[in-house]
Amino acid sequence: MTALRPNLDFAYSLARAFGGAIIFGLPLLMTMEMWSIGLYVHPLRLLLFIAANFVVLVFLSRFGGFERTANLREDMLDAFAAYAVGMISSVAILCLFGLLSRGTALDELVGMVAIQAVPGSFGAMIARKQLTGGDPDEGEDEDEAKAARSAGYAGQLFLMLAGALFLAFNVAPTEEMILIAYKMNPWQILLLMLASMLLLHILVFAVGFAGQEEPEGFGIVRRFLLFTVPGYAIALAVSFYVLWTFGRVDGNAFAVIAETMVVLGFPAAIGAAIARLVV
Amino acid sequence: MASDRKSPPTSALEWIAAGLGLAGLLFVVAVIGREALTGETAQLPVLEVRAERVLPNAAGFVVEFEVVNRSSGTAAAVEIEGQIGPEANPVETSSATLDYVAGDASAKGGLFFKHDPRGQRLALRALGFQTP
Repeated sequence: MTALRPNLDFAYSLARAFGGAIIFGLPLLMTMEMWSIGLYVHPLRLLLFIAANFVVLVFLSRFGGFERTANLREDMLDAFAAYAVGMISSVAILCLFGLLSRGTALDELVGMVAIQAVPGSFGAMIARKQLTGGDPDEGEDEDEAKAARSAGYAGQLFLMLAGALFLAFNVAPTEEMILIAYKMNPWQILLLMLASMLLLHILVFAVGFAGQEEPEGFGIVRRFLLFTVPGYAIALAVSFYVLWTFGRVDGNAFAVIAETMVVLGFPAAIGAAIARLVV
Repeated sequence: MASDRKSPPTSALEWIAAGLGLAGLLFVVAVIGREALTGETAQLPVLEVRAERVLPNAAGFVVEFEVVNRSSGTAAAVEIEGQIGPEANPVETSSATLDYVAGDASAKGGLFFKHDPRGQRLALRALGFQTP
């Protein structure tokens, strides 16, 4: 083994991370609202969101980030690296699209990049799982399964939160969220809630949780109460948080906020359900 | 007690990537934090409109203008109006709407006129904006 080997390995990981950052970042890089949202968002809420994203990245690193990690220090290092990849790829693509110019003010640039780096860093972090075919390093998946198992119930719920956050964030910046809520009548909203929970339940148990060895005879009611109900509650809470971050709840009536939460809760619930698949 | 796991050595490249990320994060936090502390976003925009070029085109003339925001507050849906001819009795009025002009930044647009604005009084002004 030469000293170059770990550097080379990490370089490959980084290259994959850039791929992941671009795949997951593109939909939002090409969304008009995202170019100016950094200017509208309340600065403290934006800072809080960046901090929350960082916590999620550290957590995701443990569940199969772009390289194998053994301790919290390495998870933090990987989270920083993922954020670097997210920022660099965002700046590069925004420049390529001609959205950044010399006339762009510093606050505007930072606001734009800080928020675009969120989906980018998420993609960078989960790139390994997504972009590697057969990993030559065997036993790695087993390690992750072990990690997932040791994280237990709380870890599974946190994974749901990460998935919900990612999918909700992907659609939340657009005006359509509120427009859809306006177009729907209360019965349709209730139906959407039911459909979200049903889909969440089916997806969770069709996809299954890695490393979750559930005893046979775990009743459907118990599964529903243990995973689906808290999962949907998490999806709704995440929806509210994302809407609040983007200032979409300010000055709105309580009923409108609740309706928008349910609308955004639909993608959030699906994100929560398939988190195990993508991470 | 994961002593059976071989922990990969932290490579130099990893430290560099992580360092870059940390530096970028600190920079972002510093810029946004300064904005949060000074409450700059609460300021009202100060817009200055000036004509850049006047060019003839198929339907008449186009006046290219630039809107400069002298304040740190952002203006959205900025409506720009241009008038040619004497103020009391303008020959022609045109308007354009810009999506937004960010704080301390500028944006460009154009106004179409049927009459030639050259050699006449050309007045450009921002009519209003939406608070983002």
